[in-house]
Order: sequence, then structure tokens, then C-alpha cells
Amino acid sequence: MKEQLQKDFDNSIKNLSLSQKDIEIKKFCLDNFIDKGFPNRKEEDWKFSDLNQIIKNNIGEISFYNDQTSTNKVDTSVFVDGLEHNKIVFINGRIEKIDFEYEKKDQIEIIDQSETINEFKNSNSLSDLNNAFTNKCFKILVKKGYQLVKPLIIYHTTNSKIWSKNINLRLNFELNKDSSLKVIDLFNDTSEKNFLNIFYNFELKENAVLKNYKIDKLENKNIKYSFNNIDQDKNSISETFILSSGSNFSKNEINCNLNGVYASAFVNGVFSLSKDKHHEIRSIINHLTENTKSYQLIKSVLDESSKAVYQGKIFVNSDAQKTDGYQLSKAILLNKKSEFNAKPELEIYADDVKCSHGSASGSLNDDSIFYLMSRGLSYYQSRELLINGFLLDVVEKITDSEIKNLIKNMIGIKE
Amino acid sequence: MLKINNLNATIDNKSILNGLCLDINPGEVHAIMGPNGSGKSTLSNILSGKKGYEVSGEVLFEEKDLFELETEERAHKGIFLAFQYPLEIPGVNTNIFLKTSLNAVRKARGEKELDAIEFLKLVKEKSKELKFDEEKLNRQLNVGFSGGEKKKNEILQMSLLAPKLSILDETDSGLDIDALKIVADGVNTLRDKNNSFLIITHYQRLLDYIKPDFVHVLMNGKIVKSGGPDLALELEKKGYENFN
Repeated sequence: MKEQLQKDFDNSIKNLSLSQKDIEIKKFCLDNFIDKGFPNRKEEDWKFSDLNQIIKNNIGEISFYNDQTSTNKVDTSVFVDGLEHNKIVFINGRIEKIDFEYEKKDQIEIIDQSETINEFKNSNSLSDLNNAFTNKCFKILVKKGYQLVKPLIIYHTTNSKIWSKNINLRLNFELNKDSSLKVIDLFNDTSEKNFLNIFYNFELKENAVLKNYKIDKLENKNIKYSFNNIDQDKNSISETFILSSGSNFSKNEINCNLNGVYASAFVNGVFSLSKDKHHEIRSIINHLTENTKSYQLIKSVLDESSKAVYQGKIFVNSDAQKTDGYQLSKAILLNKKSEFNAKPELEIYADDVKCSHGSASGSLNDDSIFYLMSRGLSYYQSRELLINGFLLDVVEKITDSEIKNLIKNMIGIKE
Repeated sequence: MLKINNLNATIDNKSILNGLCLDINPGEVHAIMGPNGSGKSTLSNILSGKKGYEVSGEVLFEEKDLFELETEERAHKGIFLAFQYPLEIPGVNTNIFLKTSLNAVRKARGEKELDAIEFLKLVKEKSKELKFDEEKLNRQLNVGFSGGEKKKNEILQMSLLAPKLSILDETDSGLDIDALKIVADGVNTLRDKNNSFLIITHYQRLLDYIKPDFVHVLMNGKIVKSGGPDLALELEKKGYENFN
């Protein structure tokens, strides 16, 4: 893999007009990645999901160079109907469109940051890989007091033009005081055997509100890793919802730093998996000052030989008195071969805190199935009704009603 | 309508029903009384298709072998069980459940499925008759319902699905007098020359409101005595011991 990396790196650098210093930094990152390789189960954070093995088994030989000199045609049929929205369109990792058509133009700045490397508070090698190969990086800056009228949908589309490749994306967001933004990440993959490596950085100033909904619903054979870093000032709110379903493998990591008092973070997620899909959510909520709050609810429905992993860490440092931290995960296993792993972690250094965690897994209740079937429902209908009922309360946590309905429709929950 | 011939049932190698025989004709109301553990609930479970029992013998429903029918097919054919302990189903809206159930049954019977408006009209009507709080219809199925409300919900389902054979498994337990009368009214409304009822109960009380044609005493998994309504009164006085 080392030779491939070197060769592909040289090719991708050629097409970028970078300063010598930036090239040096990228090279440094590349060397780091070559040194460490893809994360494997020897690393504690990856012990349930050995990415190195997963890439070997699913992709085999992977290449890293993407020709990004020519544009891709934007397929408008993937756009969501019935919900007015702003758009960012990635096709095969290339940013094709940034369109804030519903917003006041002077309230949003789009800053090209391709030449500066952002340090992530993430030590895993994927951050290095991302730094070495990202070729365009933008920052979306929402100005003080501006609340976007419509949500932003980020389309991640891959098509048959790429195969067995690694795609690296990066976006930065700055939400200034009293601003708000809703971001939906929507995946449309018609390619196979690609590895998407996505890094977002969100900076929330005082009173800012971020809602991020990540929707990986369509069946596809790709491998995805997504890392959100969220830094939160006083009184800010972040809400993350993850629908984890379509890809062969997916790992979503959320690292949230509650830096300002009364900041709060919500992480909710649904795993809906079948076949031999393997998905993970890992969250790290850092309560760094007093009176901060976090809430997490993860529900899984696992069929066939699928596997879901939830690793949730709540860290409370010694200054963070009056912290309120909560996490719960529940799983329904529909098949003897399906598997759910939960690893809750609480690390608490303050004494006046309220923290709790819980995890439960089991199968569908036979008596409930019998009850519903005795009323004329087929086994399949009964199962669907029970599963929808099980998932309903986590979907109800979505605070935006339009987006909640969109997601309910996607999951098939009827009102 | 229902012919049970020499029905035996075991669960986990424990024998529960031992050669039970019972015939129910259209329009008849049969009451089965018996002490705890005599097999009353097992009988109702087996008739409605609950899995997990080893059974032998013969059960015919309208001349068809009942054991060849899946649980939901029995419901389609017109068998209804009002549960002794109706289940709470979190996250499932009562109205959606009722509509799905009614339309599944109607579809199987070759009747037109009801749209949302037709359904709401019907369910409101029925709820009113049963004095079932309409607001409950928008709540999660049986979640947070009182014992009485759950039982009324069973009778509401019964009256929506209009079954040919209704089995009431201790529907009277946990009901106050007012609720008992409402439940009995629900049954009596449905009672006609085609519809039959099998009422399982511990007490004679319910039978004051729903007059049975036959009363059977179930002990150790078989019917030990059958008679008219007077048998229930006799049981109330003497207890089950005399039948052992």
C-alpha cells in the first residue's frame, strides 16, 4: 500500500497549487498515515470495528488518487422533493456546487481553506489520511445573529466512475453568536467498494444552534467513516441525529466539547441493519465547564448477521459541576446471528454531577407478536409495527418537524 | 361452528388439556368455569393459535381443521380472543393498530378496506357505545391504560372485527360494576343467531349480564360437567371441590 500511497499522493499534489509549506504539512500527514496504516482492533477505539480488516475484506486493493480536474454532471434526480433547501453537492468527493439560494447572501461567507490544514483533536490515522489527500476545503461561516431560513442538504454522491477508491472530504462551519444552521447529510451511492473519509468541524459561538442529521439509508456497498468535531460556547445547542443503515460499513464519531456554561449536546441515532452490515457510533462528550448537559439515545434493529456498536463516553472534568449527562442504548436482535455491542464509559472528576447510562438488548416479544396476529395482522405486519414503535421515540427526538417527517417517511414510520 | 374432539395439550412436558370435548353451534353462548390451573387460558390460547403447545385431537371451525390455520388466518375466519391480560405495545398508536387490524381482516374477507375517514367514523361510533374515552385512541396501544380501559379496548376491537366466535378470557376480572355492564352490553349487541361466544370466567357475576345457553365446568384439562345457567349458580354456592 505504501507505494500506491506515494504514487497517488504525488499525482494529487501535482494538480493543486499549494505553497511549499502546505506541501510539507501534507507530506508529514502522509508519512504519519503510512506509518500507522488504517486503524485496527489493537486500538481501543477500534476494538469492535477493525477498519484495516474491513477494508481488506470489502475493497481489497484501494487507491487514493482521484482525478478532480474535470467537473461531474450534477444529477438533480437525487435532490429531495418537497423540502426547500440549500445545497452542497459532492460527487465522487469533488465539490460541484455550493448554493445558498434561500439565504441572505451577505450573512453567509464561504471561505476557501484549502491551503490551511486544520488540526483535529483526533489522533487516529484517518485524520492524517484526510489531511494528506483533501484537495478542497471550505469553511461555511454564518454571521452573528443570522438564522438560516432553510436547511442545508449536503449530497454525498458516488457513481460508477470511481471504484475501489478512497475519498476524503472536509468541511468547516463557524456559527457565530445567536446564529443557527440545520445540516442534513444525505448519501447516494451507486459506486461500490469505496472508502469515504469525512471530517467536519463545527464551531458554535454563544447561543448558536446546530442541527446535524446524517442519513445513510440507501443500500450500498461502501465503507464510510465520518468524524464530527463540535466546539460549543456558552448556551449553544448541538443536535446530532444519525440514521445508520445503508452502507456495508459505517462508523460515525462525534467529539463534542462543551466549553461554555449552559451548552448542551444531543446525540440520537438509529441503527437499522441487515445482511452482514457492520455499523458503529462512537461519541465522546466532554463536559468542560459547569452547568452543561448532554443526552444520548441510540436504538438498533438488527437482522440477519448484522452488527452494531455503540461506544459512548461522557467525560466530566473537575470544573464541570452541575453536569447533566445521560445515555441509553437499546437493541432488538431479529436473528440469532445479529450482534449488538455497547461500551458506555463515564469518566468523572467533579462531585456534583448527574450522569447515567444504560443498555439493553433483546428480541421481539413473542406475546406482542401473538397479540397483533390474533387481530388479523400477518407476522410481517406485526413485526413492522413493533419495530416502528420501538424506533418511534428516538425519531421523535428530532426537533425540526419538517425533517422529522422526512426521516419518518424514510424509515417507513406512519403517523 | 366449533367442534372440539378429544383435545390434548402439553407445554414443557406438562399436560394441561386431557381429552377436552366441546361443541358450539351458531348463536350459542357457552361459559366455561373452572379453578385456577384447570386449563381455561390454555384452551383460549390454543383456539386462537398461540405457539408453544404440543397438541393432539381435533378442532374444527366451520368444518375446517383449525390447526392448519395460522393465527392471523383464524382472525380472518372470524375467531377473536379477548385477552385476559391485553398487552401494552409502546410506540404503536391505538388508532393505527385498529385500522391496520380491521383492514387486514376486511381484506381477507374480500370486503373493501376502509379509508381514514370511514374508519374514524366507525371507531368513534363504537367507542361511544362502549363509553371508551376517544382520546385514548390517539395514545400508544394500552400503554398507561387502566385495567378497565384495557378490557374495554378488547371489546372495542371485538365489535370492530365482528367475529363469528368470540372467546372472552376472564374479561370480567378487574372490572368494576359499571365497566362490567358496558362490556356485557358490548357482547349482547353482537349476539345474534350467527355469532357465538365462549366466555371463560371464575365468577358467576358476569353471567348475570350475559345469559349463557350452556355452562361447563373445566377441571384438570377436561370438562367434567355441563348444564344450563343454573350450573353456574350451583358452582357459586358449592365451589369446585364437589366436582373433583
